[in-house]
Amino acid sequence: MTEKSAPQPTRRQFLAGVSLAGAGAAFGGTLLTGCSSGGGAGGKRGKTLFVAGFQWSPPTTFNPLNPNAGWPTAQDNMQLVFETLFGFNLLDGKLEPQLGSKLTAPDDHTLQVTLQPKATWQDGKPVTADDVVYTLELAKSHPEVPFGSFFEYAKSVTATDPHTVTIELDAKQPNPGMVKSSLATVYIMPQHVWAPIEQKTKQLSEYPVTKPVGSGPYKLDKFSASQLAYTRNDKYWGKAVRGKLPAPQYLVHPIFKDNSAGNLAFERGEVDVMQQFTPEIWKMWQDKHEPVGTWYDKAPYQVPGSIPMLVVNTTKKGLDNPKVRRALAFAIDYARIAKTAMSQYSDPARSSVILPRGVEEQYFDAQNVAQHGWKYDPAQARSILENELGAKKGSDGVYKLPDGTRLGPWSAQTPTGWSDWQTALQVVAESTKEAGFDISTKFPQQAQTTTAVQNGNFDLACWYVAGVSAASPWQRFRDVLDSRGVPKPGTSAFYNYGRFHDARVAPLLDRAATQTGAEAKQTYGELDRIFMANAPMIPLVYRPLDFYEFNTGTWSGFPTAKHPTAPPQFRGAGIDWLYDLKPTTK
Amino acid sequence: MSAARFSARFYVAAGIVAAVLLFGLVAPLVFRTHQVGDVVGGLYDHPSAHAWLGTDNLGHDVFTNLMYGTRTSLLIGLVAGAIATLLGVAVGTLAGYRGGAVEEGLMGFTNVILAIPSIVVLVLISIALGTRSTLTLAVVLAVTSWPWTARAVRAQASSVRTREHLDVARLSGAGTFSLICYDVVPYMLSYICMAFVLQVSGAVLNEAALSMLGLGPSGGVSLGIMLHWALAWESVRTGAWWAFVPPTLLLTLLAFALLMLQSSLDELFNPRLRRHARRRRTARPAALPLPVERPVPEGAAE
Repeated sequence: MTEKSAPQPTRRQFLAGVSLAGAGAAFGGTLLTGCSSGGGAGGKRGKTLFVAGFQWSPPTTFNPLNPNAGWPTAQDNMQLVFETLFGFNLLDGKLEPQLGSKLTAPDDHTLQVTLQPKATWQDGKPVTADDVVYTLELAKSHPEVPFGSFFEYAKSVTATDPHTVTIELDAKQPNPGMVKSSLATVYIMPQHVWAPIEQKTKQLSEYPVTKPVGSGPYKLDKFSASQLAYTRNDKYWGKAVRGKLPAPQYLVHPIFKDNSAGNLAFERGEVDVMQQFTPEIWKMWQDKHEPVGTWYDKAPYQVPGSIPMLVVNTTKKGLDNPKVRRALAFAIDYARIAKTAMSQYSDPARSSVILPRGVEEQYFDAQNVAQHGWKYDPAQARSILENELGAKKGSDGVYKLPDGTRLGPWSAQTPTGWSDWQTALQVVAESTKEAGFDISTKFPQQAQTTTAVQNGNFDLACWYVAGVSAASPWQRFRDVLDSRGVPKPGTSAFYNYGRFHDARVAPLLDRAATQTGAEAKQTYGELDRIFMANAPMIPLVYRPLDFYEFNTGTWSGFPTAKHPTAPPQFRGAGIDWLYDLKPTTK
Repeated sequence: MSAARFSARFYVAAGIVAAVLLFGLVAPLVFRTHQVGDVVGGLYDHPSAHAWLGTDNLGHDVFTNLMYGTRTSLLIGLVAGAIATLLGVAVGTLAGYRGGAVEEGLMGFTNVILAIPSIVVLVLISIALGTRSTLTLAVVLAVTSWPWTARAVRAQASSVRTREHLDVARLSGAGTFSLICYDVVPYMLSYICMAFVLQVSGAVLNEAALSMLGLGPSGGVSLGIMLHWALAWESVRTGAWWAFVPPTLLLTLLAFALLMLQSSLDELFNPRLRRHARRRRTARPAALPLPVERPVPEGAAE
């Protein structure tokens, strides 16, 4: 290289200049995006509630019939744009008035819904019984909609008068719980908007909607690949009923790259309330003194609402033996799963299809579980294998049944990225290995796992069954035990993925569907005994319906166990806390 | 070759590599308090006398994981490096020695492979495999990383081809195979040795990259897998430094030492690069000869 005498920049100076300019541009860019995502100047941040944990990819449609619709328009997300007739409250199990003001049962197979007389759509037209009938009957004309099974349990839906809807149940096999559960999860849609669309569209769920018209307190303002923004509808009909409007004027859901990006923003106070799995959340207030909270201020922090199950494929050789499945159940360290995989957000799982805390506690029979169920007990697992089954341990440490069936190699799968369930399965693999099983973990992509589980093409899988709802625990018992409506392996099943069959289940389920109180508890107890004797699925841990975490940096008044003004949920009756928020005074 | 000809850099690099090798291969035999998979605590317990580097998200001892993880990473690195070097040398020597259509064909193929980003192929193969043993992963890493070695070896081989000693060997009736084995390859050994070191470091880093994406060897522990879980469980946010600092440090150290080892070997084998030689000729730095072609594998940049 030769030195030049002219005052031209050297290569080194040029590069330094370029990198400085680059850094400057990047810094400026950060400032700009910081402004836009922070809500801009003029105190807009103080009027905006930032929510996270529901939307992970750019939204394409806001059609409530589409299961992938942008938050919160997919069924039962949150009653912001569209509303359901009633809101389920997971604390007391009651259905709170929403678009419907009253739910009555004139006789055993009829339900009657009275609508709010003043309810209107966001375009000003009234919400009538015809809208409700129109929406529910979509299940007949478009069975692909998310509530396509509505008429399995209901016979007819009619508008008795403009503000009354009458639902006839199937007289032979009435199941009011499942129908009520639909009434609390199906978003009612305006007939005057959708009837013309229906005429020109075959697949109604695929119709792209970018300007949703609902009856709720918020309107979609704008959306992009990075966020969803909603503005309060100050003409909301509910103001007259509740006496006030929801506190935040604006509502924004930023779309984060992954869980950790969302958790970091939450810790910094850029997100006010969210539904995300956040490992060791207590460190945020204990170590870092951030104004963060959860429902309970100590373990388990969250209210249990569902039971992730270890689904066992009962058609696989070896796993088709109920005693092998029970030995497996005794070999799993549930306390360790709750402590590590669930970051203490759960009690150790009990051997019951019923949740031991919350609404379902009234059906939970602790004595029944203690007498017939299982808990972590490797000695008992060994006793079942050696004494009851006559299995022998091979030189590789894995048992073989007398007929030569080896207890493995089996794989336990769940989608990659579901870190809490992945870790739960790792604990399953480790603790069952000590008991003489050969189980390895496998974490394919989500779509792959879903197909494998539904088609019965798996050994073991961590998967979900129905959570707490107006139909629980009935629906969960069906999901775990009922073989009716479950096709052979190779075709998609939507419950009982392990293809368990027991002839005693169906009549008991039909009986439980109409029972309440002590009678129901007894029938569920019988079903639970069938479950415990056969272990077609193994409860691994408890999970909340929605994770519920809040940061009071900008908004306060979030409900907690000490101030239970509303349930810790986003869906259903969770809308209530939105009315109680107050800007935090600094 | 006397010991005096090794540079200080060589000793430092060799020392670090030897230390990591010792840690991965011998330490598990020495520190036997915990075995892999033993549960010694809860979710991210702090370092203590019981668990020197705390526990991971499953309550396993991080120090034990680190020893066995290093062993897995080294094993994958060495096996993948050996296979990749073997493949590269075989293809490169054959192409360089034979020339003509064989050379055109083999190099054309190599260039096509070289043009495809290897990380993409790696990810696709790993997803397709479902369950992956340590050895399978090593083979997968090897079959995607040999092309640059083949290209570089071809250049060397076609230069060796023109040397006189080959004519002598040919005149004495040696066959092609014997010529390649005894008269071509031995003259490139110094280069092959360096290529191997680079391949090992590339394989270790690629394994870490794959494992961090969750595509690592199933049912085991490696440095990359440790990082994968540390990220998934947000140890950075929760302040559990013991979960991610030790594997990162070890990976960095190993890759750095291997690259330094390679460059100090280059100095040793290529007299024109020697530092004391350069010092003597400081008067005319511009006259320094260019180093021989020494492509860096794509993965090594990560």
